Amino acid sequence: MSEKPIKGQTKEEHCGAKKKKTPAVHIFPEWCKGCGICVAFCPKQVLEMGDDQKAHVIYPEKCIECALCARRCPEFAVYVSGDTIKESKKKSGGEK
Amino acid sequence: MPARLPYAYKYLRAKKKFPHVWCPGCGIGIVMGSIIRAIDSLGWELDDILMVSGIGCTSRMPVYVDFNTLHTTHGRALAFGTGAKMANPNLKVLAVMGDGDSMAIGGNHIIHAARRNMDITAIIVNNNNYGMTGGQFSPTTPQGAKTATTPYGMIEPDFDICKLTEAAGANYVARGDVYHVMELDGLIKNALSGPGFRVVEAMAPCPTNFGRANRQGDAVKMMELFKDNTINVAQASKLPKEKTEGKIVRGIFVDKDGIGYTERYQDLCDRVSSGVKK
Ligand SMILES: Cc1ncc(C[n+]2csc(CCOP(=O)(O)OP(=O)(O)O)c2C)c(N)n1
Ligand code: SF4
Ligand code: SF4
Ligand code: SF4
Ligand SMILES: [Mg+2]
Repeated sequence: MSEKPIKGQTKEEHCGAKKKKTPAVHIFPEWCKGCGICVAFCPKQVLEMGDDQKAHVIYPEKCIECALCARRCPEFAVYVSGDTIKESKKKSGGEK
Repeated sequence: MPARLPYAYKYLRAKKKFPHVWCPGCGIGIVMGSIIRAIDSLGWELDDILMVSGIGCTSRMPVYVDFNTLHTTHGRALAFGTGAKMANPNLKVLAVMGDGDSMAIGGNHIIHAARRNMDITAIIVNNNNYGMTGGQFSPTTPQGAKTATTPYGMIEPDFDICKLTEAAGANYVARGDVYHVMELDGLIKNALSGPGFRVVEAMAPCPTNFGRANRQGDAVKMMELFKDNTINVAQASKLPKEKTEGKIVRGIFVDKDGIGYTERYQDLCDRVSSGVKK
């Protein structure tokens, strides 16, 4: 398509493409210790334990972004996009 | 280190100190999350906060958060916290302690901090034993429970942290647990939002020691025990006695705004410097 979107028009509005929904919930395997808490108490069975003893996101489309998994994860290994906590823009630096 | 952090770089010493040392399924990390979310929702500056602790698994918490932090000696979080608060009354002092730290070796500090209504928020992670040293009994080990030092079951009655601190004069006393994590976030936020001595008992699993000794199963099973065996104080008041028997009550038990120690001390200083004796 050679035509460019006009000012103020989103890509979807312009070419009618549906925005691809990115999974709302992410697990960081580096920090997951495989306790199974997030898997056991997810109200929508979005998560499963893998053979690697880490939690995995299996049905992202079922996620209701309740963030209970992130709140109950003792390892800070779950991130849910809809969570209310403010994301810091602060980049690395200092003692972190 | 993960590419994107759940609580961003803002609150955690993520690069140097993670993953943390706590065992898989240990509840202390969940309590730390609640504290962070409570502070985030209050919008406090990190540099205005002091997190002080004693010794124990719980007391490792200040290692992981990017506030002013002070990791002291066993049972003395409130003693150091009191000193810091009196030296700089603008500091928001948060003492994190284990059940052993606060009720055994630090038992005297807590009753007097409560009596003075010292302006400190105390978060007590109650896992019913000395986690760090191998699961010995603590003053909150329930009667009959097995620990490394009570293999035939605890014969002593236990302390009720909430009743004890209420009787000693605390302004705010509440109990939550890590299964009911949204509630715990709120209890901690309330605790941080007022004057005087303010206590939250956060019940948490120690699957490695207490859970194993009492055959309670893994962390998930221990979380289920909190789900099934606790009840909110508001719900409990509506139910007949037999329905609440044997359940641990969660919620806010005391919420006063009595004048804290720092305000009374400032008043004394003002009176002395102006020559008024009364
Ligand atoms: C003066 C002193 N006495 C004893 C100890 C040994 N000690 C280390 S941690 C601990 C108890 C920890 O239990 P608790 O406060 O419940 O914390 P948890 O590890 O369960 O979080 C003890 C007795 C010590 N470090 N210092
Ligand atoms: S946010 Fe809620 S629904 Fe989505 S994975 Fe986590 S617990 Fe499940
Ligand atoms: S709760 Fe956290 S540590 Fe436990 S399995 Fe889920 S992601 Fe891993
Ligand atoms: S010993 Fe118990 S309290 Fe200590 S980190 Fe392990 S599970 Fe947590
Ligand atoms: Mg303990």
